[in-house]
Amino acid sequence: MEIKESYDLPLPIETVWQALNDEGFLKNSIPGCEKLERISPNELSAEVKLKIGPMSTRFKGKVNLSDLNPPNGYTISGSGTGGIAGAASGSAKVFLSKMEDGEGTILSYQVKAEVKGKIAQLGSRLIHSTAKKLAKKFFSNFVQELSK
Amino acid sequence: MYSTKIVKAENSSAAVQAIGSSKEGKILAGGMTLIPTLKQRLANPDCLIDISSCGLEGVEDKGSSVRIGAMTKHAAVAESSSVAKAIPALADLAGGIGDRQVRNRGTLGGSVANNDPAACYPSAVMALDGTVHTNKRDISADDFFKGMFETALEEDEVIESVSFKKPEKACYMKFPNPASRYAMVGVFVAKFSDGVRVAVTGAGEEGVFRHSDLESALSSNFSEEAVSGVEVSSDGLMSDIHASADYRANLIGEMTKRAVSS
Amino acid sequence: MSEGIGASVKRKEDKKFLTGKGKYTDDINRPGQVYAHFVRSDVAHANIKSINTKAASQAAGVVAVYIGEDVAADGIGGPICGWVVPNRDGSATHEPPHPLLAQGKVRFVGDAIAVVIAESVEQAKSASELVEVDYEELPAVANLETASSGAEIHEGMKENRYFDWELGDEAATDKALQSAAKVVKLSVRNNRLIPNAMEPRSALAEYDDLGGSYTLHTTSQNPHLARLILAAFMFQIPESKLRVIAPDVGGGFGSKIYVYIEEAVCIWSSKKINRPVKWTADRTQSFLTDAHGRDHINNVQLALDESNKIIGLRVDTVCNLGSYLSAFAVAVPTYLHGTLLSGLYDIPTIYTNVKGMATTTAPVDAYRGAGRPEATYLLERTMDAAAREVGMDQAEFRRLNFIPKDAFPYQTAVALQYDTGDYEPNLDKAMEMIDYKSFEARRSEASKRGKYRGIGVSSYIEACGLAPSAVAGALGGRVGGWESASVRVDPTGTVTVFSGAHSHGQGHATTFSQIVSERLGIPNANVEFVHGDSDKTPFGMGTYGSRSLAVGGVALSKALDKVVEKSKKIAAHLMEASAEDVEFKDGKFTVAGTDKETAFGDVALAAYVPHNYPLETLEPGLEETAFYDPMNFTYPAGTHIAEVEVDPATGVVEIVDWAACDDFGNLINPMIVEGQVHGGIAQGIGQALLENAHYDENGQLLTASYMDYCMPRADDLPSFKVECTNTPCTHNDLGVKGCGEAGAIASPPALINAIINALSPLGVSDMSMPATPETVWRAIQNAQARAAE
Repeated sequence: MEIKESYDLPLPIETVWQALNDEGFLKNSIPGCEKLERISPNELSAEVKLKIGPMSTRFKGKVNLSDLNPPNGYTISGSGTGGIAGAASGSAKVFLSKMEDGEGTILSYQVKAEVKGKIAQLGSRLIHSTAKKLAKKFFSNFVQELSK
Repeated sequence: MYSTKIVKAENSSAAVQAIGSSKEGKILAGGMTLIPTLKQRLANPDCLIDISSCGLEGVEDKGSSVRIGAMTKHAAVAESSSVAKAIPALADLAGGIGDRQVRNRGTLGGSVANNDPAACYPSAVMALDGTVHTNKRDISADDFFKGMFETALEEDEVIESVSFKKPEKACYMKFPNPASRYAMVGVFVAKFSDGVRVAVTGAGEEGVFRHSDLESALSSNFSEEAVSGVEVSSDGLMSDIHASADYRANLIGEMTKRAVSS
Repeated sequence: MSEGIGASVKRKEDKKFLTGKGKYTDDINRPGQVYAHFVRSDVAHANIKSINTKAASQAAGVVAVYIGEDVAADGIGGPICGWVVPNRDGSATHEPPHPLLAQGKVRFVGDAIAVVIAESVEQAKSASELVEVDYEELPAVANLETASSGAEIHEGMKENRYFDWELGDEAATDKALQSAAKVVKLSVRNNRLIPNAMEPRSALAEYDDLGGSYTLHTTSQNPHLARLILAAFMFQIPESKLRVIAPDVGGGFGSKIYVYIEEAVCIWSSKKINRPVKWTADRTQSFLTDAHGRDHINNVQLALDESNKIIGLRVDTVCNLGSYLSAFAVAVPTYLHGTLLSGLYDIPTIYTNVKGMATTTAPVDAYRGAGRPEATYLLERTMDAAAREVGMDQAEFRRLNFIPKDAFPYQTAVALQYDTGDYEPNLDKAMEMIDYKSFEARRSEASKRGKYRGIGVSSYIEACGLAPSAVAGALGGRVGGWESASVRVDPTGTVTVFSGAHSHGQGHATTFSQIVSERLGIPNANVEFVHGDSDKTPFGMGTYGSRSLAVGGVALSKALDKVVEKSKKIAAHLMEASAEDVEFKDGKFTVAGTDKETAFGDVALAAYVPHNYPLETLEPGLEETAFYDPMNFTYPAGTHIAEVEVDPATGVVEIVDWAACDDFGNLINPMIVEGQVHGGIAQGIGQALLENAHYDENGQLLTASYMDYCMPRADDLPSFKVECTNTPCTHNDLGVKGCGEAGAIASPPALINAIINALSPLGVSDMSMPATPETVWRAIQNAQARAAE
């Protein structure tokens, strides 16, 4: 499944790009992120608690930054296993471009998500909506953090 | 399931207290969603707070509204003569949830608090301009539902009852998912003297929602033709292996027509 | 009222089942028992880089944790393939190994990687969560259409193909297609189904270290066959050291024919830890790991001459057999499918090619009907399409092409010889039952209500009563097809039947008692039925392929012949007459032309208290066993007609009427037969309207619970009209055929044809299964869009 969305930010592209590479910003943006540590320049280890309705599962995994094209964008991908719940992975291609006025930045993204194991077996009706919701939350958190 | 402890609360404030003193406690109402989740080991609460002895059952006719206790079972709502008299559509809805076993265990408060995007009750709360009464405050339906499985409820809040305004006329039409019999699309249409409210469940990616185009069309002309004049968009509707967003959009129009003409 | 053959007596076993007193494998507990839980793959296809079981081994209550290397170290083999076919090029079916626990690779979601054995189920589950598996993921092969170009699933197996088999005369068939006045082409998909027996699979294995023997309680349709495969092929222990008991079993539908890895792991580990080991699937595991059914894509070409007679048929099939070859996976799409392609039609030449493909999905094997529903579906869909194309009534087009009544025995172009049949009476009767001739009036009445009404015909034949051993052997079967029965008469004249067939819902205790009652003239209540225990019954082949009565029942009849023959000798002695003059009827022996008589009970008593008995020429006792190998398959046939109404606004299909007229030969218990027909139709309606196993592109099963896998329920079904005709089977003593699968074979095309018929005024000519509301709605939308162009 693919999900596309975009935001207009009243900030210079360089600021947005820096934030996209800052683990503090990322940690506060990833929904349910409890831990995010850089283990190499483009790799972070992560722990995320995901709650969907009555389900509540802790995913442990990695976040990778790739296709880096400063300051125009990158791909951020994450994958984690949630024990008995199965595994989830997702990636977002993030595009930054200057707004026509030259001051602001347009952030747009394309998200892909996959789930494995029990979550796929039992929650197929919710996969798409949840992925969309989490992506939206990530970027709206990110935008909110930036405007602080 | 993982082992956990059960605390039986005597009243809602005791329940809230128990939640506060637990790490990841969960309120257990009818358990129709929570228990299967626990059995699948998809949640591991350290404590379940059983609120079945909190005195939250019963139906009360308040004149312009009907107030129903949070722990009232679907079967009790379906069979209640006061509900049948005041808002027959609500009794019909309750009688069509799940199967007999679910109706004998499942509760109004549990369904509303869980806010499953395919549950029936949220559409009634929304269309009947309901109010959710908690131990702390009253929350209007329009403020209560915050998206799929999300509500305005805070950690220390328990639903005690829900009020439904009496409409002039109302009808709930459900197109059940053939497998789960949850709503693939459920439309609750309620006609009040000051306008029509249309709430849709089962279809929106963000859970239950009011359909403003249908509402305004029906408010000016309460007829099937008015519904036909509305193009129901598939934007923001769920797509899954059972039904695409397009098909759900079609069903919203069709179920609304049937609700209006019934 | 008679309790014998032909009486609709109530089922003896129902009181137990309906009051919850059945005793299933999971109800059985042994002292010191521990519980197994399997760590299963979350991914469809991957190499296993490492497995860490350390934390799990140390968890509370854990007795043992085993992985594939442990199994390999003990030299235990995996489940074997019970049937193979030659490829077109003469090479053999590729039979890749199926390890009990993964050996370096997983091939479907649910593939077992490790087993955790603990003092309680919950402890085993908790410890399982601590097993760490590091995967190197490989591309999933979840799509049958593209499986041949997908990643290699089994080492050295080309294009993920298990076999490439053919049957029939290709040159003659292609010639017929070229010279035809009309060629009707159709491509159909037979959707993938999950069996969903009410009782999930379960196994309880116990090792006796004093005797060095094992006892396995398991959910099996054929305990002796399970014993043979487990002992001789997988464990290489003396067969006599393994007792297999299949107690009450709650439904199988084919899925409990096979030996599964879980049973074997329980046996193996019960010796390693010297404690009884139990495993019971939860529903999710059933969805993931029970052998699935169907999953074919068929391309059909039917050649017609100027008079609309069929002159040839070509069917090219690819079928999905999943990650490993299950026991009879190969037989289902080949000899249980290709041989049925003539249907009940006179078709001079037929050719079929079947490619059996591997995918990274659960194994696929026999499911109620097994190959015959797929054959019937493609053929009856094609017959319908042909009738439409040539502008003939669907029933009359079939009638025109039926094998005529005087052509039996009829040799088909695809190996089978039908012994007997008379197809028109079934068609006529079904048409009369549903009032076919007034249909158009009902169609126009419905259209006034805004509904599209349609009627669909399906005329089917099936080959059941598996199977003549020599034929099965010649075609690649590795087992026999006979059945056994023992009749033990007690001194007081009561009887116990020991059958090699296995009842898991069929009602054998009742039906088999009726045969005894009829033949020995004793009440049903005096007959006990024992089955499902390799230590108690004679070696038997079990129950599948509608064989219990047509093979097992005939074995019982032959054992009863022996009892009667010996009884006559005893009676002759008692009555001082010659055995040739003794007649036996209604439980009494008489001597022709005299008033001498003696009762069956007296004869039984004499056999066991042989004070006055011809001991010098006759053994005492009265117990006889017979083994029966059928001469041929039996060929039930019939016509089902479905009538539906489609709501164009939602695409919902309502089944408004259903008529079934079947020829099952002689009936023993018409009520049980009717029940079998009802159940079969319900399953067929499930396939046609509701059920579908859905894997996503990553090989994840998205329909692994009843939230998403739609089973038929009572309110999805109409009240069925069921009738029977009777042309008795010519080659067995009872004249019986088989009825267990017919409903599931006949019904899907009747229903889909009815939906197409309903929507044909809109220009709809195709419909896929399951015809869900959205599928039907889309077909209507597309047809309307085409019409608007």
